[in-house]
Amino acid sequence: MVASSADTQDVLMEIRNVDKAFGGVKAVDNVSMDLRAGIITTLVGPNGAGKTTLFNLITGELSKDSGSIKWLGNPINKIKPFQASRAGILRTFQDLRLFNEMSVEDNILTSVENNSVPIPLTKSQRTARREKVEHALNRAGLFSKRKVRAKDLAYAERKFLSMARVMATDARLWLLDEPASGLDPNSYEKFLEILRDEVKQGVTVCIIEHNLDIVIGISDRIAFLDRGKLLADGEPQSILDDPELRAIYFGERT
Amino acid sequence: MEAYLLNLGILISIYSILGVTLNFIMGYAGIYSLAHAVFFGVGAYAGTFMAMHYNASIFVTLPVAMAAGAFLSLILALPALRVRGEYFVAASLGLQVLAVTIFSEWKSVTGGIGGLIGIPPLDVAGFEVFKPSQFIFVTVGALIIILFIINRLVHSSFGRSLRAIRDSESAAAAFGKNVPLIKTISVVISSALTAVAGVLYASYLSFINVESFKLDTSVLIMAMVIIGGTGTQSGPIVGAALLLLLPSLISYMDFLPQTEIGSIQQIIYGLGMALLMIYRPGGIVGRKKQSETGKE
Ligand SMILES: Nc1ncnc2c1ncn2[C@@H]1O[C@H](COP(=O)(O)OP(=O)(O)O)[C@@H](O)[C@H]1O
Ligand SMILES: [Mg+2]
Repeated sequence: MVASSADTQDVLMEIRNVDKAFGGVKAVDNVSMDLRAGIITTLVGPNGAGKTTLFNLITGELSKDSGSIKWLGNPINKIKPFQASRAGILRTFQDLRLFNEMSVEDNILTSVENNSVPIPLTKSQRTARREKVEHALNRAGLFSKRKVRAKDLAYAERKFLSMARVMATDARLWLLDEPASGLDPNSYEKFLEILRDEVKQGVTVCIIEHNLDIVIGISDRIAFLDRGKLLADGEPQSILDDPELRAIYFGERT
Repeated sequence: MEAYLLNLGILISIYSILGVTLNFIMGYAGIYSLAHAVFFGVGAYAGTFMAMHYNASIFVTLPVAMAAGAFLSLILALPALRVRGEYFVAASLGLQVLAVTIFSEWKSVTGGIGGLIGIPPLDVAGFEVFKPSQFIFVTVGALIIILFIINRLVHSSFGRSLRAIRDSESAAAAFGKNVPLIKTISVVISSALTAVAGVLYASYLSFINVESFKLDTSVLIMAMVIIGGTGTQSGPIVGAALLLLLPSLISYMDFLPQTEIGSIQQIIYGLGMALLMIYRPGGIVGRKKQSETGKE
């Protein structure tokens, strides 16, 4: 299929020939891929494939050895995490990294605030902020827990708080690092519903996910990483039907 | 007796300012400084310099002292806060050691080892405050104003950013926090307010020397914060009061052998600290028990 011009316009992020090695280990090895607007791209691959590292390279948490990344057409190769966030790229962490001593509400509140200097907000800014936080609290089913400290939440609630922090912002791209892992079926149904809703509203998602049911259920596109290399990147069905990829995918887990 | 209590009250409010300003960076931003006595000293010397050579009005001495404290803290914070948290402790310790040398050697400003005598009383809008019964209103007033400022900061978006950074620096950055900048601002604010305590202290005693601004003072202030309750509002004040009252309480216990009072005091301190950290790790005012449900 020939890429139409509409297709290329739809690319939010362009990742080209990105490398990252830790000592002798090539965690990310010459990866090139695009993240397209308004869809869910799922990153799959065995443990240690380099998925989290790729997120860290995108947000500037780690620096690339080589390669380039463009966001909305502009290079963001030297970006720092706080700048990536302000540019509309937000992420969750595999290990959550909640603000543990802070209340659920404050976790979300601080996530939508990114002023460095202590300047008071205007009344309308305050109202807008409050609405965003309440929306995220309700969406994540955490409204009744809003005064509870993050560290006192149950596991699933912690996962939802990690999502709520992102949901409350105006980010265009969400990088979600195994947000559904360990959730019970009820919770992950709820999680999928939130995700589909938000994508409908225009958010673009790149998600790392292991559970095959979820992968099939949500992916518009799948990128398959193994030992740092991007083995395939395309329509979900073509990836999931590829016997070689299936062998790598399931081989790791049995 | 009244003079004695007034003196104690003044010292407790001055040390409370030190505790509250250290707690601001320690309890909310997770920045551990062993140089707090340096900014206390810089405030004292800068305020005294202005008072002795130019003008003793607090509208001159306080701004100059605060600016000096802020400027020096910037020199510490700019390089030290770009790297990971633990380095700040080391850098602040280095500054503390260096500062004691400078305080002892820079005779024209600090009077060297001997210090400075005859420091003029506080001039509050033309009114000279030197009687302890008046001075206590100034120190308590200053403490209240500083508590108010810090309370406002802590409950603003800035305070939330600080606590977020304390809990997870990488997540804070991932949510748009310019971590080094925010930490630097918090250290500058803390140091400027600390310098206020220095000005009050110098003009209250009308005499200062380097002995008040050494590492043991920095450690004492940190102990006040930890014992009282890090990250709590009243903790640093409770800690300051307790640690300043203890020596007098112990000296009142006349059944203790008076010749050994020094070492008995050390033993009580050490034992008290150890017991507190075992049974109330959050400090006297802090939470009773750490939550056990938190898991990552
Ligand atoms: N900060 C780091 N320092 C050293 N090695 C790392 C670091 N981060 C990841 N790695 C290594 O890089 C490889 C890829 O890790 P990661 O990206 O976490 O994989 P995945 O998220 O796909 O499970 C692994 O071998 C891991 O041990
Ligand atoms: Mg991972």
